[in-house]
Amino acid sequence: MNKVLILTKMMMKNAEPAWRVEKGSGWKTALLLIVIALGVLPMIGSAVLVISELYDGLALIGQQGAILGFGVAMTSLVIFLFGILYVLSVFYYSKDVEHLLPMPLAPGHILGAKFTLALVYEYYTAVVFLGPLFITFGVKSGAGIMYYLLAILVFLVVPVLPLVLAALVVMLFMRFTNVKKYKERFRIIGGLIGIGIVVGFQALFQRQSSGSEFGMEQIQQMLLTQENGLLGFVTQLFPGSNLAALALIDSGTWGSLGYLFAFLFVAITGIAAFLYAGAYLYFSGVMGMSESVAKRKEIVDTAFAKLVQKRPAMLAYALKEWRMLWRTPAFLMNCTLSSILIPILMLIPLLSRRDSGEMISFIQTVMQKGSVAGMSIAIAFAAFLIMGAMNSTSVTAISREGQGFFTNKLLPMPYRDILLAKLFPGLVLSAVSMLLLLAEAVWFLQLSPGFIILAIVSGIPGLIFINMVGILVDLQLPKLRWSSEQEAIKQNLNPLFPLVLGLMAGGLVVLASFSLGTSMLGTALGIIVLFTLINIFLYRLVVTKGPGWLEQIEG
Amino acid sequence: MIELVNVTKSYNGIIKAVDQMNLTVPKGEIFGFLGPNGAGKTTTIKMITGITRPDHGEITINGKNIRSEALEAKRQFGYVPDSPDLFLRLKGLEYVSFMADIYEVPQEVRGKRILQLADRFDMKNALGDPIQSYSHGMRQKIMIMGALIHQPEVWILDEPLTGLDPKSSFTLKEMMREHADSGRSVFFSTHVLEVAEKLCDRVGIINKGKILFSGTFAELREHFQSDVSLESLFLELTKHE
Repeated sequence: MNKVLILTKMMMKNAEPAWRVEKGSGWKTALLLIVIALGVLPMIGSAVLVISELYDGLALIGQQGAILGFGVAMTSLVIFLFGILYVLSVFYYSKDVEHLLPMPLAPGHILGAKFTLALVYEYYTAVVFLGPLFITFGVKSGAGIMYYLLAILVFLVVPVLPLVLAALVVMLFMRFTNVKKYKERFRIIGGLIGIGIVVGFQALFQRQSSGSEFGMEQIQQMLLTQENGLLGFVTQLFPGSNLAALALIDSGTWGSLGYLFAFLFVAITGIAAFLYAGAYLYFSGVMGMSESVAKRKEIVDTAFAKLVQKRPAMLAYALKEWRMLWRTPAFLMNCTLSSILIPILMLIPLLSRRDSGEMISFIQTVMQKGSVAGMSIAIAFAAFLIMGAMNSTSVTAISREGQGFFTNKLLPMPYRDILLAKLFPGLVLSAVSMLLLLAEAVWFLQLSPGFIILAIVSGIPGLIFINMVGILVDLQLPKLRWSSEQEAIKQNLNPLFPLVLGLMAGGLVVLASFSLGTSMLGTALGIIVLFTLINIFLYRLVVTKGPGWLEQIEG
Repeated sequence: MIELVNVTKSYNGIIKAVDQMNLTVPKGEIFGFLGPNGAGKTTTIKMITGITRPDHGEITINGKNIRSEALEAKRQFGYVPDSPDLFLRLKGLEYVSFMADIYEVPQEVRGKRILQLADRFDMKNALGDPIQSYSHGMRQKIMIMGALIHQPEVWILDEPLTGLDPKSSFTLKEMMREHADSGRSVFFSTHVLEVAEKLCDRVGIINKGKILFSGTFAELREHFQSDVSLESLFLELTKHE
């Protein structure tokens, strides 16, 4: 136990919080907080609204407690999904693993410490979900101090079980994919299957909830009867969530304490099971993590000649970035493949609805009306913009370099060229997303050639805009000290900035075209002129101020 | 030729990592940079190569100022960092080609140069593999190849011999000698005093950010009027303030 504590302390100190900014730059911290607030507050606000409305409805029949059970179960599901990422990066891809393996530590020691670290990360996630739930419920029910004390305890325990489950899944997966030669390939395919499962769930949920108006009453009905397959499944998957809810509902009574102890008991049993399984699975999955395949064969002349072909410096740099993106699994999953997967995944909820055919023909009829044609261009623009903002390539272009960042300063290449070369992969990938999304739209909605051309021509300035915003953000707040490549992207708050900005800019454009009632051509022209102007300004910023900012970064 | 004039660098504005340093590495010389851990060696090298900015003072490489003529100055040298764990996802040949592109090495000579370097360092069979699959010494060798592909005038090597096998170590030392003898400069840091003694024309000994001594070994002995080993002299020099 002592060793677990020592290790945990060491890892905590070593871990870089996502919002770390260098000293003496108070405004950067403030800006970061504002963006986090902008990203999170609307979510929390609407959650509070939904919860209190549900409460009122259910309180009429005395069943308001169902909200807690449902909320805890859904939070558990989210924590489980995040847990898979955290466990991968903390347990397996973290650089400290290779230093820990030679030490006389049992798997339990390392696992105990790493589990605690991942749990701390999970609390950040959990507070966003459980905070509004518990507080709104408490206020609505006029609960006393005992409720809030119990709520804090429950909050601390809720993430344990989903994290145990995520750790078990990942440990099993890593154990059986630790096959020398095809390790990375196996793991990427596994990741894709994982995404597939998540999407499958989402589709299932959509299918069950669509077809009729999905209002408050339906949700209330669903909570009471638990006839929804997904909810039933989630509650079964995390059997503790009901116990957690029961412990809070009659807070202060002996009965609620009993439920709390039962909940604690389940969590402790979970940890024991995790440690027991880990003793068998962890070492055999993690050993040889950094091994790589080598042929040790001389390159044949033709391949050699091709590889040493001279290229302009900027192209060579962009190509280097491109190769790193495709070959590093964490970057592949988060930057490269996601630009292809997201537009495809967005289709699934639509297609899985029972009424998807009607919806498509409805959109088609609406689009043919002249009055909204302009707005459809604006909507297409907003969709491309948001899709571009969801891609983390440009916004992590500097963070991804990590400790190797200093090499940029050695190269006899103007910083301006480095920045522009770094923009290249992000631009290509967001253009791929745009074209894919457009291709889907063409397939379903039989768009006119004119619309397609205008959508592309007005979409391009949007992509340039969002990618330049990304690199400017990363220049200000680069996260270079990470211990696994996964961390460079997933535990980096920078992608939030373009996302918030993309949502706002996209929303404003749609709103403007709606209120101005511009034609298709007018809207496209407006977007092109406006965003070209903004882009000229941002470009000037990148090429005049950017080099100075880049120089100030010390890895 | 490398020239440092009154170069100062402090961290947090308090601790001076490098303090009023004046140093000249002339052409035709191998200059060894010695000093205990944390003496300021790597900070000095980072300033010379443009990775960190000095608070005060000027640094020129072959007469080109690393700040005001950064690109020209950077073309003058090839640098091998102390940790070779870089560009791990690239294949060895991709990395060397990348460096050749950035330094604009002409098409006609690059293939030949790469093969020559690979031959000397026994890396021909590894060029097609990712750097991730290399041992520490092989990573060191591919970094050296990348640094030398543009045939720089000035070599700046931070602990270049660490991890090299005897043959590669011998080759690199031989190459350093050839390079200096052809009238160009080699600046390298090391902890191995025997290597410094055998290889260097001159050494600089640094401690707590200050150059304690700069000159030939003969001058060092003369200075201290002593016949003791370099090791004893070094320990004596760096013992106190």
